[in-house]
Amino acid sequence: MSRVKLLGFVIKVLLPIGLGIAGWIILERVYEENLFLHSWIEISTIPWVLGLLYSLGVIGSHCIRSWLKDRDEKLKTQIQVGMVEERRRFLRRLDHEMKNPLMAIRAGLANLAESPKQEARNDALDSVSVQVLRLSNLISDLRKLADLETRPLECIPVDVAVLLEETLAAAQDLPHASQRQITLTVPQAPWPLPHISGDWDLLFLAIYNLLDNAVKFTESGDTIEVRAFEDGAYVVIEVAETGVGIPQEDVPHVWEELYRGECVRAVPGSGLGLALVRAIVERHSGQASVRSRAGQGTVFSIRLPVGDVTGLQHKVSKL
Amino acid sequence: MESQKLLLVDDETAITDNLAPFLRRSGFEVEVAADGEEALDQIASFRPDVVILDVMMPRMDGREVLRRLRGEGNWTPIILLTQVGEATERAMALEEGADDYLNKPFDPHELVARIRAVLRRMRPGERPLATAVRLTCAELQLDRQRRRAWIGESELTLTPKAFTLLEYLFTHPDEVLTRERLLDAVWGWDYPAGTRAVDTRIAELRRALDDEPREPHFIETVPGVGYRFVGVVEGD
Repeated sequence: MSRVKLLGFVIKVLLPIGLGIAGWIILERVYEENLFLHSWIEISTIPWVLGLLYSLGVIGSHCIRSWLKDRDEKLKTQIQVGMVEERRRFLRRLDHEMKNPLMAIRAGLANLAESPKQEARNDALDSVSVQVLRLSNLISDLRKLADLETRPLECIPVDVAVLLEETLAAAQDLPHASQRQITLTVPQAPWPLPHISGDWDLLFLAIYNLLDNAVKFTESGDTIEVRAFEDGAYVVIEVAETGVGIPQEDVPHVWEELYRGECVRAVPGSGLGLALVRAIVERHSGQASVRSRAGQGTVFSIRLPVGDVTGLQHKVSKL
Repeated sequence: MESQKLLLVDDETAITDNLAPFLRRSGFEVEVAADGEEALDQIASFRPDVVILDVMMPRMDGREVLRRLRGEGNWTPIILLTQVGEATERAMALEEGADDYLNKPFDPHELVARIRAVLRRMRPGERPLATAVRLTCAELQLDRQRRRAWIGESELTLTPKAFTLLEYLFTHPDEVLTRERLLDAVWGWDYPAGTRAVDTRIAELRRALDDEPREPHFIETVPGVGYRFVGVVEGD
């Protein structure tokens, strides 16, 4: 018999019997000295009451345990169902993303093979090249996402203010960025933001993607506010805009790979930008979230733990 | 001039069927092998000037072919065809002595440009820089195995990415390297505005090497394109 089993046997069987006997002896003493109890209870019923209480306790604890186990299993199945569902949605989207360029390529090749005019053949060739490039980009974006989950992070102390300034400067070159009112607010008082520990290039990419999104889903004259603040052991970075907003039913899905909302199909993009943001933030032990109101705008926030270089590096080496 | 001989190794016939004629039209004499073992046989009999080698292959993969060749002192230039984003594959490619690598899927014109660059760099009978463990350029020294660099006696403090960038520049001297290519070589994939990351890293290297951009001893800016390593590199 293992030591754990022996301990369980002692606790479940011997201990209650011992306690019961001891309790009875004590009660008997008390009973003899206390006349009030004589009028209230018969001595012979005491072991029965104690036994009943013990049984109730055992049955109760068993019920609670099996209820907890049930709940755990339900939760696990829910997560599994969620993952299966997410995978199904991903495959559906992948199929959709590949079907159109492939159809265009097949039509283009048919034109190329059968069209008697050189001009038409040149057009077909151009169109096929464009679609092939589109497929190449899709595949390479998917690889990047997979790579992000395993590549070692090169963590250095990052000054969020400088990071945001540089990212904003780069984002100014995005198409139509000059027609947006872009502002940056980073606290200086009573003290500047603490440094975080992270991979500069990847954090740059995450914030750049959020800015790219913000510019895409706003119109001329709209406001984009980039702000950062300290919140306990975290630095929170927010990119807020007064754009088209995200319909409530789409909000939970925006981080999924290849997800593209119904209303934004016309806006060019891979559908992987936010998935990359989420992957980068999670690699840094942070959280990404979004709040949005259709027609009013959206705010994306990322929470990153304040610089614990050793902790992060430890995590990397484990991966 | 006699055309240069090229061995194309890939198990995917869809690739070799299309790439081989393209390379022939670009002026090379091309032979094709379908796996690593066949590649080693062909290298012995055909004696190519350059080998284009896929990594993932049945029977013997490209990695093993590369290791065996270098192990027996065969310095035939090799360009590896790797997967985008496979950081380990890329590091392996450089460390085990591939002369260059390209991520699939790539533009075939880019492959021809790389082949020409590799052949230009080649010095007959000499060990190529890509396979050298220690590289020197004037007082600058690079130990590729231990990932350390020195100027004279003092060791440089470089981030791992800056070191990889310096190593790539060192092993491709006198070649104009676009920002996109450097980004791809060091980060494994390009990303929007990522070329800024290259500039940041180059600035870090210049500070560490005390290299004046206007009168560079090591890294020259090629305006509107990228960078070029101008020093004379020796390897052993």
